[in-house]
Amino acid sequence: MSNILEIEWLGFRYPDSPRKAISDFDLAVPEGEIVVLAGPSGCGKSTLLRAVNGLIPHMYSGEYTGSVRVGGTNVKESSMRDLAQKVGFLFQNPENQIFMFTVERDIAFGLENLGVPRPEMRARVDEAMRLLDIGELALRAPHELSDGQKQRVALAGVLAMEPRLVILDEPTSLLDPKTASELVGLVARLRKELGTTFVVVEHRLDLLVKVADRIVVMSDGRKALEGTPAEVLFGEDAESYGVSTPSITRLQKMLAKDGLVPQGELMTTAELATSLEGGRS
Amino acid sequence: MMWLSSGFIFRRGTSAYHRLDPRVKLLVSVLMFVTTLLVRTLYELAAVLLFMIALSAFATVLRRVARTMAFTALFSAFIFALNFVFTRNIETSLLYAARFVAIVVSTSLFFITTSPDELEQVMKTFRLPRDVIFAFVTAVRFIPVMFLDTIQIMDAQKSRGLELEKGNLLRRVRNMIPILIPLVVNSVVRSGELAEAMESRAYGAVPRPTSLVEYRTSLADKAVATAAVVAFALVAYSFYFVIPAQIL
Ligand SMILES: Nc1ncnc2c1ncn2[C@@H]1O[C@H](COP(=O)(O)OP(=O)(O)OP(=O)(O)O)[C@@H](O)[C@H]1O
Ligand SMILES: [Mg+2]
Repeated sequence: MSNILEIEWLGFRYPDSPRKAISDFDLAVPEGEIVVLAGPSGCGKSTLLRAVNGLIPHMYSGEYTGSVRVGGTNVKESSMRDLAQKVGFLFQNPENQIFMFTVERDIAFGLENLGVPRPEMRARVDEAMRLLDIGELALRAPHELSDGQKQRVALAGVLAMEPRLVILDEPTSLLDPKTASELVGLVARLRKELGTTFVVVEHRLDLLVKVADRIVVMSDGRKALEGTPAEVLFGEDAESYGVSTPSITRLQKMLAKDGLVPQGELMTTAELATSLEGGRS
Repeated sequence: MMWLSSGFIFRRGTSAYHRLDPRVKLLVSVLMFVTTLLVRTLYELAAVLLFMIALSAFATVLRRVARTMAFTALFSAFIFALNFVFTRNIETSLLYAARFVAIVVSTSLFFITTSPDELEQVMKTFRLPRDVIFAFVTAVRFIPVMFLDTIQIMDAQKSRGLELEKGNLLRRVRNMIPILIPLVVNSVVRSGELAEAMESRAYGAVPRPTSLVEYRTSLADKAVATAAVVAFALVAYSFYFVIPAQIL
């Protein structure tokens, strides 16, 4: 399978900043994967996402080295116009990415900007609303939406542009646990239905481990760890990089040490219980 | 602040008037506005006001218009007093005071029946630059957000012991600073994030962006627009040529 995203030796320093926000960063993401990006605050996660969708270097100038390729084309040499159609960026605060007075107009915002003809735009907006199950909100104003609904509307606006790669910056940080886990379920469903690739910056690993193919842990602008959720979370280093292992995984680790359960794959609470019972009988 | 919000901020409505093309509503309001300026006697003005009240009732916004009028009355009392001091003429002073009310009503009738979306459409027909329109759109879009922000900041600062309602005027103004600074900081952060989100969604990619919704002028729109222009012409004509002011 081909890589939709290829980052090679990326380095970036914001102007007037003494240290590099990203250094020597390498990453290849095959099409259709869900990759989780974790790491302590200030380690450069948001900066990396900006470099993926082209805000760096097109909007933020600074010292830029290495390369980022999306779908084979170099981000640095593409225009924001082209990149907007390739990479969808869901920002942390949905409030600040909803511009228009009605949900459907907002979802259409990117398509209007691209000059997409009205009938096609209508179809794509309706499809995005269907995918996110927000059809009945079409004519609502942004201030009439809950946080979870705003998040869906913002995501619909991103999906309407039909990007092959969607990057999300801490999408659940403003959501309650139930809405957060719904959002994660949505990401998994969209990957399945559309084959879209997702790179998700997230602290709440407990929600994402079930759907993620890979976890990348960053530290100080560098890639510290990379592997499947099981590899990263069962490893010794994750905790030292401030990655909070889900408590169920910590339990599995402890039990596995005593040989009570297998360690190869991440288990849910139910699986762990079944495995323990099986071991006893 | 409150009278502004009740008299000028759109709330969704379903009346036939709400459904008119926004440009037609603008035309009607502008013509009413001009009529109030042409008016020379209290009787004529009373007739114009009566028409506006009838129109408000038709648009099912009478209560809000009435509230606007009540609040405007304060200002018009002031206008009356000022005019009376200078002219010593009750009738002229009354005319000016009432005219002010009529002007506010004609304007507010437009704003309370026209959604921000439609306002945007009107701006587009006037071929304003896209940036100007978009600046307006986001400004209006974020009014409720900023409003909530302000309340939250006020609560937070109050819980830290800030006393907003205490002291003399100067003291009270100074007390606003801990409210204003976070508000400004919030807005700066917000505009940065907005700019990123705009770029990421291809803002400015093509010189002539398309639009999801199309406002088509219906037969009713054309009929209302024609009727408004004809009525205005007749009224203006009669004011000056048919009915001499002295008779009324
Ligand atoms: N616009 C900017 N200008 C200058 N420096 C910046 C800018 N944005 C971020 N930085 C700096 O770059 C570094 C990485 O920041 P970044 O926002 O990418 O971290 P992060 O991993 O997303 O953190 P968080 O989890 O808090 O969101 C930090 O040291 C930060 O201070
Ligand atoms: Mg961040």
